[in-house]
Amino acid sequence: MGKPKVGIFGFTGCGGCQLEILNLEDQLLDLVSAVDIVHFTEAITEHSDDYEIALIEGSITTEHDVERIEKIGSIANVIVAVGACAVSGGLNCLKNLYGTQKAAELVYGDKKDWIDTIEVKPVDAYLKVDHYSRGCPPNRFEIVDIVRSLLLGRQPEIPNYPVCVECKRNGNTCVYELGMTCLGPISRAGCDSRCPNSASGCEACRGVIENPNVNAQKDLLAEHGLTVKDIMSQFNLYNACKGKNIE
Amino acid sequence: MLYKILGKNEYEDFLSDLISKNEVIGPKKKDGAYSDFVAIKDPKEIDTDYQKTTLSPAKKILFPSTEDLVAFKISDTIEAEGIVEYEQKVLLGINAWDINGMNFLDRFFTTDFIDENYLAKRKALTVIGTDSVPTENNFAHHMNSEYAIEGFDLYFSDLGDRFFVRAATEKGNRLIEDFPRFLDTSEDDFKEFNRYMEDYRAKFKLNINMKNFIDNFESIYDKEQLWQKLAEKCYSCGSCNLTCPTCFCFNVKDDINLDLKTGQKLREWDSCMIPEYGLVAGDHNFRPDKENRLKQRYKCKLITFKQKYGKNSCVGCGRCIEACLAKINIAEDINTIMKEVSI
Repeated sequence: MGKPKVGIFGFTGCGGCQLEILNLEDQLLDLVSAVDIVHFTEAITEHSDDYEIALIEGSITTEHDVERIEKIGSIANVIVAVGACAVSGGLNCLKNLYGTQKAAELVYGDKKDWIDTIEVKPVDAYLKVDHYSRGCPPNRFEIVDIVRSLLLGRQPEIPNYPVCVECKRNGNTCVYELGMTCLGPISRAGCDSRCPNSASGCEACRGVIENPNVNAQKDLLAEHGLTVKDIMSQFNLYNACKGKNIE
Repeated sequence: MLYKILGKNEYEDFLSDLISKNEVIGPKKKDGAYSDFVAIKDPKEIDTDYQKTTLSPAKKILFPSTEDLVAFKISDTIEAEGIVEYEQKVLLGINAWDINGMNFLDRFFTTDFIDENYLAKRKALTVIGTDSVPTENNFAHHMNSEYAIEGFDLYFSDLGDRFFVRAATEKGNRLIEDFPRFLDTSEDDFKEFNRYMEDYRAKFKLNINMKNFIDNFESIYDKEQLWQKLAEKCYSCGSCNLTCPTCFCFNVKDDINLDLKTGQKLREWDSCMIPEYGLVAGDHNFRPDKENRLKQRYKCKLITFKQKYGKNSCVGCGRCIEACLAKINIAEDINTIMKEVSI
Protein backbone atom coordinates (compact mmCIF):
# COMPACT_ATOMS: atom_id res chain seq x y z
CA MET A 1 0.00 0.00 0.00
CA GLY A 2 1.30 3.44 -0.95
CA LYS A 3 1.30 6.44 1.28
CA PRO A 4 -2.16 7.85 2.00
CA LYS A 5 -3.02 10.89 -0.10
CA VAL A 6 -3.99 14.01 1.79
CA GLY A 7 -5.69 17.21 0.67
CA ILE A 8 -5.47 20.36 2.79
CA PHE A 9 -8.29 22.77 1.98
CA GLY A 10 -9.16 26.28 3.08
CA PHE A 11 -12.66 27.73 3.44
CA THR A 12 -13.78 30.94 5.14
CA GLY A 13 -11.22 31.96 7.72
CA CYS A 14 -7.90 33.72 8.02
CA GLY A 15 -5.81 30.88 6.61
CA GLY A 16 -3.85 30.65 9.85
CA CYS A 17 -4.58 26.94 10.35
CA GLN A 18 -2.79 26.05 7.12
CA LEU A 19 0.00 28.31 8.27
CA GLU A 20 0.18 26.32 11.51
CA ILE A 21 0.86 23.19 9.44
CA LEU A 22 3.66 25.04 7.65
CA ASN A 23 4.89 26.20 11.06
CA LEU A 24 5.64 22.57 11.92
CA GLU A 25 9.13 23.23 10.55
CA ASP A 26 11.02 20.47 12.42
CA GLN A 27 8.36 17.88 11.59
CA LEU A 28 7.35 19.06 8.13
CA LEU A 29 9.74 16.78 6.26
CA ASP A 30 8.61 13.82 8.36
CA LEU A 31 5.00 14.73 7.63
CA VAL A 32 5.48 14.86 3.84
CA SER A 33 7.41 11.58 4.06
CA ALA A 34 4.58 9.89 5.96
CA VAL A 35 1.77 11.06 3.67
CA ASP A 36 1.44 12.28 0.10
CA ILE A 37 0.05 15.82 0.10
CA VAL A 38 -1.81 16.27 -3.20
CA HIS A 39 -3.55 19.55 -2.44
CA PHE A 40 -2.48 22.31 -0.07
CA THR A 41 -4.11 25.63 -0.94
CA GLU A 42 -1.61 27.78 0.88
CA ALA A 43 1.57 25.89 0.04
CA ILE A 44 1.57 24.06 -3.31
CA THR A 45 0.39 24.87 -6.83
CA GLU A 46 -0.23 21.26 -7.88
CA HIS A 47 -3.71 19.87 -7.43
CA SER A 48 -5.27 16.45 -7.62
CA ASP A 49 -8.79 15.23 -6.92
CA ASP A 50 -7.47 11.88 -5.78
CA TYR A 51 -7.12 11.83 -1.96
CA GLU A 52 -8.31 9.76 1.00
CA ILE A 53 -7.88 12.22 3.83
CA ALA A 54 -9.12 15.81 3.79
CA LEU A 55 -7.90 18.36 6.33
CA ILE A 56 -10.35 21.24 6.17
CA GLU A 57 -9.93 24.69 7.69
CA GLY A 58 -12.51 27.49 7.64
CA SER A 59 -16.26 27.62 7.94
CA ILE A 60 -18.92 27.36 5.25
CA THR A 61 -20.34 30.80 4.46
CA THR A 62 -21.18 30.91 0.73
CA GLU A 63 -23.05 28.75 -1.78
CA HIS A 64 -19.71 28.21 -3.50
CA ASP A 65 -18.29 26.89 -0.20
CA VAL A 66 -21.20 24.44 -0.06
CA GLU A 67 -20.46 23.13 -3.57
CA ARG A 68 -16.75 22.73 -2.75
CA ILE A 69 -17.30 21.00 0.60
CA GLU A 70 -19.77 18.56 -0.94
CA LYS A 71 -17.25 17.67 -3.63
CA ILE A 72 -14.55 17.03 -1.01
CA GLY A 73 -17.02 14.88 0.91
CA SER A 74 -17.68 12.78 -2.19
CA ILE A 75 -13.95 12.05 -2.59
CA ALA A 76 -12.36 11.77 0.88
CA ASN A 77 -12.88 8.81 3.21
CA VAL A 78 -11.69 10.67 6.28
CA ILE A 79 -12.59 14.25 7.14
CA VAL A 80 -10.58 16.21 9.70
CA ALA A 81 -11.91 19.64 10.69
CA VAL A 82 -8.97 21.87 11.53
CA GLY A 83 -9.32 24.99 13.64
CA ALA A 84 -12.19 26.83 15.31
CA CYS A 85 -13.83 28.04 12.05
CA ALA A 86 -14.08 24.50 10.68
CA VAL A 87 -14.93 22.85 14.01
CA SER A 88 -17.52 25.23 15.48
CA GLY A 89 -17.87 27.99 12.89
CA GLY A 90 -15.54 30.10 15.00
CA LEU A 91 -15.51 33.88 14.90
CA ASN A 92 -17.45 33.83 11.63
CA CYS A 93 -20.55 32.83 13.58
CA LEU A 94 -20.75 36.34 14.98
CA LYS A 95 -22.27 37.18 11.59
CA ASN A 96 -25.24 34.94 12.38
CA LEU A 97 -25.98 36.99 15.49
CA TYR A 98 -26.70 40.01 13.27
CA GLY A 99 -28.52 38.04 10.59
CA THR A 100 -26.95 37.44 7.17
CA GLN A 101 -28.55 40.39 5.37
CA LYS A 102 -27.92 42.86 8.16
CA ALA A 103 -24.28 41.81 8.39
CA ALA A 104 -23.82 42.16 4.62
CA GLU A 105 -25.35 45.61 4.76
CA LEU A 106 -23.17 46.69 7.68
CA VAL A 107 -20.00 45.65 5.88
CA TYR A 108 -20.76 46.30 2.21
CA GLY A 109 -23.46 48.99 2.41
CA ASP A 110 -25.29 49.50 -0.91
CA LYS A 111 -23.03 46.90 -2.56
CA LYS A 112 -24.38 44.13 -0.33
CA ASP A 113 -26.03 42.34 -3.25
CA TRP A 114 -22.61 41.66 -4.73
CA ILE A 115 -21.96 39.34 -1.84
CA ASP A 116 -23.12 35.74 -1.89
CA THR A 117 -23.40 35.10 1.83
CA ILE A 118 -25.34 32.44 3.72
CA GLU A 119 -25.69 31.49 7.37
CA VAL A 120 -22.29 30.44 8.76
CA LYS A 121 -21.98 26.76 9.56
CA PRO A 122 -19.13 24.51 10.66
CA VAL A 123 -17.90 21.67 8.44
CA ASP A 124 -19.93 19.04 10.30
CA ALA A 125 -23.16 20.74 9.24
CA TYR A 126 -22.39 19.35 5.77
CA LEU A 127 -20.09 16.36 6.21
CA LYS A 128 -19.55 13.67 8.81
CA VAL A 129 -16.35 14.78 10.53
CA ASP A 130 -14.07 11.99 11.81
CA HIS A 131 -11.65 14.07 13.84
CA TYR A 132 -11.59 17.60 15.21
CA SER A 133 -8.44 19.63 15.74
CA ARG A 134 -9.85 22.51 17.72
CA GLY A 135 -8.57 25.96 18.50
CA CYS A 136 -7.69 29.32 17.02
CA PRO A 137 -5.11 28.59 15.89
CA PRO A 138 -5.21 24.81 16.32
CA ASN A 139 -2.33 23.11 18.10
CA ARG A 140 -0.10 22.02 15.21
CA PHE A 141 1.23 19.08 17.20
CA GLU A 142 -2.32 17.86 17.63
CA ILE A 143 -2.78 17.96 13.83
CA VAL A 144 0.31 15.73 13.57
CA ASP A 145 -1.12 13.47 16.28
CA ILE A 146 -4.35 13.06 14.31
CA VAL A 147 -2.50 12.23 11.07
CA ARG A 148 -0.22 9.84 12.94
CA SER A 149 -3.18 8.15 14.61
CA LEU A 150 -4.88 7.73 11.23
CA LEU A 151 -1.74 6.06 9.91
CA LEU A 152 -1.57 3.74 12.92
CA GLY A 153 -5.31 3.07 12.99
CA ARG A 154 -5.81 4.25 16.55
CA GLN A 155 -7.75 7.03 18.27
CA PRO A 156 -5.85 10.27 18.85
CA GLU A 157 -5.83 11.30 22.52
CA ILE A 158 -7.59 14.64 22.51
CA PRO A 159 -8.40 16.04 25.93
CA ASN A 160 -11.94 16.71 27.05
CA TYR A 161 -10.82 18.21 30.33
CA PRO A 162 -10.69 21.96 31.02
CA VAL A 163 -7.77 24.29 30.35
CA CYS A 164 -7.17 24.50 34.13
CA VAL A 165 -5.52 21.06 33.98
CA GLU A 166 -2.80 22.25 31.61
CA CYS A 167 -2.56 25.61 33.34
CA LYS A 168 -1.81 23.95 36.67
CA ARG A 169 0.62 21.48 35.09
CA ASN A 170 2.42 24.55 33.79
CA GLY A 171 2.49 26.06 37.27
CA ASN A 172 0.74 29.26 36.16
CA THR A 173 -0.73 31.73 38.60
CA CYS A 174 -4.48 31.68 37.91
CA VAL A 175 -5.40 34.69 35.77
CA TYR A 176 -8.29 35.39 38.18
CA GLU A 177 -5.59 36.01 40.81
CA LEU A 178 -4.15 38.58 38.42
CA GLY A 179 -7.46 40.44 38.26
CA MET A 180 -8.65 39.13 34.90
CA THR A 181 -11.39 36.73 33.82
CA CYS A 182 -10.95 33.43 32.01
CA LEU A 183 -13.17 30.76 30.47
CA GLY A 184 -10.57 28.09 31.27
CA PRO A 185 -12.67 26.15 33.82
CA ILE A 186 -15.28 25.21 31.18
CA SER A 187 -13.14 25.23 28.02
CA ARG A 188 -11.43 22.34 26.33
CA ALA A 189 -7.72 21.94 26.93
CA GLY A 190 -5.29 20.72 24.29
CA CYS A 191 -3.67 24.09 23.66
CA ASP A 192 -1.18 23.67 26.55
CA SER A 193 -3.02 26.59 28.23
CA ARG A 194 -1.50 28.92 25.65
CA CYS A 195 -3.29 32.15 26.67
CA PRO A 196 -3.01 31.80 30.48
CA ASN A 197 0.69 30.96 29.98
CA SER A 198 0.98 34.56 28.79
CA ALA A 199 -1.17 35.89 31.67
CA SER A 200 -4.24 36.32 29.52
CA GLY A 201 -7.68 34.75 29.97
CA CYS A 202 -8.90 31.78 27.93
CA GLU A 203 -11.57 32.63 25.31
CA ALA A 204 -12.75 29.05 24.71
CA CYS A 205 -11.43 28.88 21.14
CA ARG A 206 -11.45 25.07 21.44
CA GLY A 207 -15.09 25.09 22.55
CA VAL A 208 -16.53 24.03 25.86
CA ILE A 209 -16.00 20.64 27.53
CA GLU A 210 -18.72 17.99 27.41
CA ASN A 211 -20.23 18.77 30.79
CA PRO A 212 -19.35 22.37 31.61
CA ASN A 213 -20.52 23.76 34.93
CA VAL A 214 -22.04 26.80 33.26
CA ASN A 215 -23.86 28.03 36.35
CA ALA A 216 -20.66 28.09 38.37
CA GLN A 217 -18.92 29.91 35.53
CA LYS A 218 -21.68 32.54 35.25
CA ASP A 219 -21.54 33.12 39.01
CA LEU A 220 -17.78 33.43 38.85
CA LEU A 221 -17.79 35.95 36.01
CA ALA A 222 -20.59 37.95 37.63
CA GLU A 223 -18.55 38.00 40.84
CA HIS A 224 -15.75 39.55 38.81
CA GLY A 225 -18.01 42.35 37.63
CA LEU A 226 -19.27 41.02 34.29
CA THR A 227 -22.88 41.54 33.22
CA VAL A 228 -24.95 38.82 31.53
CA LYS A 229 -24.28 40.61 28.22
CA ASP A 230 -20.50 40.58 28.82
CA ILE A 231 -20.68 36.93 29.78
CA MET A 232 -22.62 36.00 26.63
CA SER A 233 -20.22 37.92 24.43
CA GLN A 234 -17.33 36.00 26.03
CA PHE A 235 -19.10 32.69 25.40
CA ASN A 236 -20.10 33.72 21.87
CA LEU A 237 -16.72 34.89 20.63
CA TYR A 238 -15.79 31.48 19.28
CA ASN A 239 -18.93 29.52 19.99
CA ALA A 240 -21.93 31.48 18.69
CA CYS A 241 -22.94 28.70 16.24
CA LYS A 242 -22.69 25.96 18.84
CA GLY A 243 -23.32 28.02 21.94
CA LYS A 244 -26.98 27.18 22.34
CA ASN A 245 -26.24 24.69 25.10
CA ILE A 246 -24.66 27.41 27.24
CA GLU A 247 -27.29 30.13 26.95
CA MET B 1 19.79 15.28 64.73
CA LEU B 2 22.59 17.81 64.91
CA TYR B 3 21.74 21.30 66.23
CA LYS B 4 23.72 24.42 65.33
CA ILE B 5 23.48 28.19 65.31
CA LEU B 6 24.30 30.46 62.38
CA GLY B 7 24.50 34.27 62.56
CA LYS B 8 22.48 36.36 60.10
CA ASN B 9 25.57 37.78 58.37
CA GLU B 10 27.11 34.34 58.10
CA TYR B 11 23.87 33.08 56.55
CA GLU B 12 24.32 35.44 53.56
CA ASP B 13 27.80 34.04 53.01
CA PHE B 14 26.54 30.49 53.46
CA LEU B 15 24.00 31.08 50.67
CA SER B 16 26.60 32.69 48.36
CA ASP B 17 28.88 29.75 48.96
CA LEU B 18 26.05 27.28 48.30
CA ILE B 19 25.01 29.05 45.08
CA SER B 20 28.58 29.18 43.80
CA LYS B 21 28.98 25.42 44.21
CA ASN B 22 25.52 24.03 43.36
CA GLU B 23 22.45 24.43 41.26
CA VAL B 24 20.16 26.05 43.83
CA ILE B 25 16.39 26.20 43.40
CA GLY B 26 14.74 28.78 45.63
CA PRO B 27 11.69 31.05 45.94
CA LYS B 28 11.54 34.12 43.73
CA LYS B 29 8.69 36.66 43.37
CA LYS B 30 6.51 35.80 40.41
CA ASP B 31 3.18 37.54 39.91
CA GLY B 32 0.31 38.70 42.11
CA ALA B 33 0.71 37.19 45.57
CA TYR B 34 2.64 34.25 44.16
CA SER B 35 6.26 33.22 44.16
CA ASP B 36 7.82 30.35 42.26
CA PHE B 37 10.79 28.11 42.95
CA VAL B 38 13.35 28.67 40.20
CA ALA B 39 17.13 28.55 39.73
CA ILE B 40 18.77 31.16 41.96
CA LYS B 41 21.98 32.85 40.82
CA ASP B 42 22.27 35.50 43.54
CA PRO B 43 21.08 35.40 47.18
CA LYS B 44 19.37 38.78 46.58
CA GLU B 45 16.91 37.10 44.21
CA ILE B 46 15.49 34.96 47.02
CA ASP B 47 12.03 35.95 48.19
CA THR B 48 12.58 35.34 51.89
CA ASP B 49 8.98 36.25 52.83
CA TYR B 50 7.24 34.10 50.24
CA GLN B 51 3.82 32.86 51.18
CA LYS B 52 2.17 31.27 48.17
CA THR B 53 3.45 29.05 45.38
CA THR B 54 1.08 27.40 42.89
CA LEU B 55 2.91 24.08 43.17
CA SER B 56 4.98 22.36 45.80
CA PRO B 57 8.63 22.95 44.85
CA ALA B 58 9.52 19.39 45.86
CA LYS B 59 6.85 17.78 43.71
CA LYS B 60 7.78 20.02 40.79
CA ILE B 61 11.38 18.79 40.89
CA LEU B 62 10.89 15.14 41.87
CA PHE B 63 7.72 14.29 39.97
CA PRO B 64 7.52 16.78 37.09
CA SER B 65 4.18 17.36 35.36
CA THR B 66 5.44 15.62 32.20
CA GLU B 67 8.28 13.14 32.11
CA ASP B 68 9.64 10.69 29.51
CA LEU B 69 9.87 7.15 30.89
CA VAL B 70 10.86 4.89 28.01
CA ALA B 71 12.34 5.38 24.54
CA PHE B 72 11.33 2.69 22.06
CA LYS B 73 12.07 1.62 18.53
CA ILE B 74 9.87 -0.71 16.53
CA SER B 75 11.43 -2.77 13.73
CA ASP B 76 11.18 -6.56 13.44
CA THR B 77 11.53 -6.51 17.18
CA ILE B 78 10.75 -3.86 19.75
CA GLU B 79 13.67 -2.24 21.50
CA ALA B 80 12.92 -0.26 24.63
CA GLU B 81 15.18 1.62 26.97
CA GLY B 82 14.26 3.24 30.26
CA ILE B 83 14.86 6.96 30.61
CA VAL B 84 15.89 8.09 34.07
CA GLU B 85 16.87 11.75 34.19
CA TYR B 86 18.20 13.55 37.25
CA GLU B 87 20.53 16.36 38.21
CA GLN B 88 22.18 17.23 41.51
CA LYS B 89 20.15 20.11 42.94
CA VAL B 90 19.74 22.00 46.17
CA LEU B 91 16.17 22.92 47.10
CA LEU B 92 16.38 25.96 49.33
CA GLY B 93 13.56 27.52 51.34
CA ILE B 94 10.96 24.73 51.21
CA ASN B 95 8.61 24.93 54.20
CA ALA B 96 7.61 22.23 56.67
CA TRP B 97 4.31 21.15 55.10
CA ASP B 98 5.85 20.84 51.66
CA ILE B 99 8.66 18.76 53.18
CA ASN B 100 6.01 16.56 54.79
CA GLY B 101 4.25 16.37 51.42
CA MET B 102 7.53 15.25 49.90
CA ASN B 103 7.93 12.67 52.69
CA PHE B 104 4.58 11.27 51.66
CA LEU B 105 5.67 11.06 48.01
CA ASP B 106 8.97 9.43 49.15
CA ARG B 107 6.96 6.75 50.85
CA PHE B 108 4.44 6.31 48.05
CA PHE B 109 7.04 6.03 45.28
CA THR B 110 9.13 3.49 47.21
CA THR B 111 6.38 1.33 48.75
CA ASP B 112 4.91 -1.61 46.79
CA PHE B 113 7.10 -0.61 43.84
CA ILE B 114 10.23 1.44 43.37
CA ASP B 115 9.75 4.37 41.01
CA GLU B 116 13.27 4.75 39.60
CA ASN B 117 12.53 8.11 38.02
CA TYR B 118 11.38 9.58 41.32
CA LEU B 119 14.05 7.93 43.42
CA ALA B 120 16.97 9.05 41.23
CA LYS B 121 15.82 12.67 41.45
CA ARG B 122 15.20 12.37 45.18
CA LYS B 123 18.68 10.99 45.88
CA ALA B 124 20.18 13.84 43.86
CA LEU B 125 18.27 16.47 45.86
CA THR B 126 19.61 18.33 48.88
CA VAL B 127 16.78 19.81 50.91
CA ILE B 128 17.23 22.94 52.99
CA GLY B 129 14.05 23.96 54.76
CA THR B 130 12.84 27.13 56.37
CA ASP B 131 9.49 28.27 57.76
CA SER B 132 7.17 30.36 55.65
CA VAL B 133 4.08 32.28 56.78
CA PRO B 134 0.92 30.18 56.47
CA THR B 135 -1.97 31.61 54.45
CA GLU B 136 -5.42 31.95 56.03
CA ASN B 137 -6.40 28.65 54.35
CA ASN B 138 -3.53 26.67 55.78
CA PHE B 139 -4.40 23.94 58.29
CA ALA B 140 -1.04 22.18 58.48
CA HIS B 141 -1.30 22.25 62.30
CA HIS B 142 -4.29 19.87 62.07
CA MET B 143 -2.31 17.53 59.85
CA ASN B 144 0.85 17.40 61.99
CA SER B 145 2.82 19.00 59.20
CA GLU B 146 3.55 22.52 60.41
CA TYR B 147 6.82 21.07 61.72
CA ALA B 148 9.16 18.71 59.90
CA ILE B 149 11.23 16.11 61.72
CA GLU B 150 12.63 14.37 58.65
CA GLY B 151 13.00 14.68 54.91
CA PHE B 152 15.30 17.70 55.03
CA ASP B 153 19.09 17.81 55.21
CA LEU B 154 19.17 21.19 56.95
CA TYR B 155 16.35 23.27 58.43
CA PHE B 156 16.78 26.94 59.33
CA SER B 157 14.49 28.53 61.93
CA ASP B 158 14.75 32.31 62.13
CA LEU B 159 15.22 33.41 65.77
CA GLY B 160 15.56 37.08 64.79
CA ASP B 161 19.26 37.74 65.15
CA ARG B 162 20.38 34.21 64.30
CA PHE B 163 19.21 30.92 62.84
CA PHE B 164 18.58 27.75 64.81
CA VAL B 165 19.75 25.03 62.44
CA ARG B 166 18.81 21.38 62.47
CA ALA B 167 20.76 18.81 60.42
CA ALA B 168 18.82 15.56 59.91
CA THR B 169 21.14 13.65 57.58
CA GLU B 170 24.79 12.92 56.79
CA LYS B 171 24.42 15.25 53.83
CA GLY B 172 23.28 18.01 56.21
CA ASN B 173 26.19 17.34 58.57
CA ARG B 174 28.62 17.66 55.68
CA LEU B 175 27.14 21.01 54.64
CA ILE B 176 27.82 22.21 58.19
CA GLU B 177 31.37 20.83 58.17
CA ASP B 178 32.06 22.48 54.83
CA PHE B 179 31.13 25.93 56.17
CA PRO B 180 33.06 26.31 59.42
CA ARG B 181 31.10 29.28 60.79
CA PHE B 182 28.23 27.32 62.35
CA LEU B 183 28.31 27.62 66.15
CA ASP B 184 27.37 25.15 68.84
CA THR B 185 24.00 25.57 70.52
CA SER B 186 23.49 26.65 74.12
CA GLU B 187 20.60 25.85 76.43
CA ASP B 188 19.25 29.36 75.79
CA ASP B 189 19.16 28.68 72.06
CA PHE B 190 16.93 25.66 72.64
CA LYS B 191 14.66 27.66 74.93
CA GLU B 192 14.39 30.39 72.38
CA PHE B 193 13.75 27.86 69.61
CA ASN B 194 10.88 26.40 71.63
CA ARG B 195 9.46 29.89 72.18
CA TYR B 196 9.85 30.54 68.47
CA MET B 197 7.92 27.38 67.59
CA GLU B 198 5.16 28.32 69.99
CA ASP B 199 4.81 31.72 68.27
CA TYR B 200 5.01 30.10 64.86
CA ARG B 201 2.27 27.57 65.66
CA ALA B 202 0.03 30.44 66.79
CA LYS B 203 0.07 31.73 63.21
CA PHE B 204 -2.12 28.82 62.10
CA LYS B 205 -5.64 30.09 62.73
CA LEU B 206 -7.98 27.66 60.98
CA ASN B 207 -10.05 25.62 63.37
CA ILE B 208 -11.13 22.27 61.98
CA ASN B 209 -13.12 19.56 63.64
CA MET B 210 -10.79 16.71 62.63
CA LYS B 211 -11.51 14.73 65.77
CA ASN B 212 -13.15 11.38 65.05
CA PHE B 213 -13.36 12.26 61.36
CA ILE B 214 -11.92 8.93 60.30
CA ASP B 215 -14.16 6.91 62.60
CA ASN B 216 -17.24 8.70 61.35
CA PHE B 217 -16.44 8.89 57.66
CA GLU B 218 -18.16 5.61 56.86
CA SER B 219 -21.42 6.85 58.33
CA ILE B 220 -21.65 9.77 55.89
CA TYR B 221 -20.28 7.82 52.92
CA ASP B 222 -23.69 7.09 51.41
CA LYS B 223 -25.33 10.45 52.17
CA GLU B 224 -25.78 11.34 48.52
CA GLN B 225 -27.51 14.67 49.09
CA LEU B 226 -24.68 15.88 51.29
CA TRP B 227 -22.08 15.05 48.64
CA GLN B 228 -24.20 16.58 45.89
CA LYS B 229 -24.37 19.79 47.88
CA LEU B 230 -20.63 19.84 48.56
CA ALA B 231 -19.80 19.20 44.89
CA GLU B 232 -22.51 21.35 43.32
CA LYS B 233 -20.18 24.09 42.11
CA CYS B 234 -17.32 21.79 41.11
CA TYR B 235 -15.96 22.44 37.59
CA SER B 236 -14.24 19.03 37.47
CA CYS B 237 -11.17 21.00 36.43
CA GLY B 238 -8.63 19.14 38.56
CA SER B 239 -7.04 22.29 39.98
CA CYS B 240 -7.25 20.81 43.50
CA ASN B 241 -5.35 17.64 42.52
CA LEU B 242 -2.87 19.33 40.27
CA THR B 243 -1.76 21.84 42.90
CA CYS B 244 -1.70 19.22 45.69
CA PRO B 245 1.80 18.46 47.02
CA THR B 246 0.91 14.79 47.54
CA CYS B 247 -1.34 13.85 44.58
CA PHE B 248 0.64 11.21 42.76
CA CYS B 249 -1.71 9.96 40.01
CA PHE B 250 -0.35 10.01 36.51
CA ASN B 251 -1.40 8.91 33.06
CA VAL B 252 1.00 7.10 30.72
CA LYS B 253 0.92 7.87 27.00
CA ASP B 254 2.72 6.62 23.92
CA ASP B 255 4.15 9.43 21.87
CA ILE B 256 5.10 7.94 18.51
CA ASN B 257 7.15 9.95 16.04
CA LEU B 258 6.01 10.49 12.46
CA ASP B 259 8.46 7.86 11.22
CA LEU B 260 6.03 5.49 13.01
CA LYS B 261 9.05 3.52 14.26
CA THR B 262 10.46 5.48 17.17
CA GLY B 263 8.85 7.17 20.08
CA GLN B 264 8.63 7.53 23.82
CA LYS B 265 6.37 6.54 26.64
CA LEU B 266 5.71 9.50 28.89
CA ARG B 267 3.72 10.22 32.00
CA GLU B 268 1.80 13.32 32.93
CA TRP B 269 -0.07 14.40 36.03
CA ASP B 270 -3.62 13.10 36.06
CA SER B 271 -6.57 14.14 38.20
CA CYS B 272 -9.29 12.04 39.83
CA MET B 273 -11.63 15.03 39.59
CA ILE B 274 -11.91 14.98 35.80
CA PRO B 275 -14.50 12.58 34.31
CA GLU B 276 -12.02 10.75 32.04
CA TYR B 277 -10.08 9.50 35.07
CA GLY B 278 -12.64 6.77 35.70
CA LEU B 279 -13.28 6.00 32.03
CA VAL B 280 -12.33 2.52 30.86
CA ALA B 281 -12.72 0.40 27.73
CA GLY B 282 -16.31 -0.11 26.63
CA ASP B 283 -17.09 3.49 27.59
CA HIS B 284 -17.79 2.55 31.20
CA ASN B 285 -17.03 5.19 33.79
CA PHE B 286 -16.53 4.22 37.42
CA ARG B 287 -17.13 7.76 38.66
CA PRO B 288 -19.28 9.66 36.20
CA ASP B 289 -20.66 12.05 38.85
CA LYS B 290 -18.74 14.92 40.36
CA GLU B 291 -20.05 14.18 43.86
CA ASN B 292 -18.52 10.72 43.72
CA ARG B 293 -15.26 12.17 42.53
CA LEU B 294 -15.18 14.71 45.37
CA LYS B 295 -15.96 11.99 47.90
CA GLN B 296 -13.16 9.86 46.47
CA ARG B 297 -10.71 12.76 46.75
CA TYR B 298 -11.61 13.50 50.37
CA LYS B 299 -11.36 9.81 51.21
CA CYS B 300 -7.96 9.52 49.53
CA LYS B 301 -6.64 12.64 51.27
CA LEU B 302 -8.06 12.06 54.75
CA ILE B 303 -8.75 8.35 55.22
CA THR B 304 -7.04 5.95 52.80
CA PHE B 305 -3.43 6.67 53.69
CA LYS B 306 -4.09 7.21 57.35
CA GLN B 307 -5.20 3.57 57.32
CA LYS B 308 -2.41 2.42 55.00
CA TYR B 309 0.62 4.40 56.21
CA GLY B 310 -0.66 5.75 59.53
CA LYS B 311 -0.34 9.23 58.03
CA ASN B 312 -2.67 11.43 56.04
CA SER B 313 -1.72 12.27 52.51
CA CYS B 314 -3.17 15.75 53.09
CA VAL B 315 -0.62 18.09 54.68
CA GLY B 316 -3.04 21.01 55.07
CA CYS B 317 -1.22 23.45 52.80
CA GLY B 318 -4.51 24.94 51.59
CA ARG B 319 -3.50 25.06 47.91
CA CYS B 320 -6.63 23.16 46.82
CA ILE B 321 -8.74 25.77 48.59
CA GLU B 322 -6.89 28.65 46.98
CA ALA B 323 -6.88 27.08 43.51
CA CYS B 324 -10.62 26.33 43.49
CA LEU B 325 -12.61 28.90 41.54
CA ALA B 326 -15.81 27.22 42.75
CA LYS B 327 -14.67 27.90 46.33
CA ILE B 328 -14.86 24.27 47.40
CA ASN B 329 -13.06 24.28 50.71
CA ILE B 330 -11.86 21.02 52.26
CA ALA B 331 -11.46 22.66 55.67
CA GLU B 332 -15.02 24.02 55.72
CA ASP B 333 -16.32 20.75 54.28
CA ILE B 334 -14.74 18.72 57.08
CA ASN B 335 -16.61 20.89 59.56
CA THR B 336 -19.83 20.55 57.56
CA ILE B 337 -19.41 16.78 57.39
CA MET B 338 -18.71 16.49 61.12
CA LYS B 339 -21.76 18.62 61.88
CA GLU B 340 -23.81 16.20 59.79
CA VAL B 341 -22.41 13.31 61.81
CA SER B 342 -23.30 14.87 65.14
CA ILE B 343 -26.95 15.39 64.14
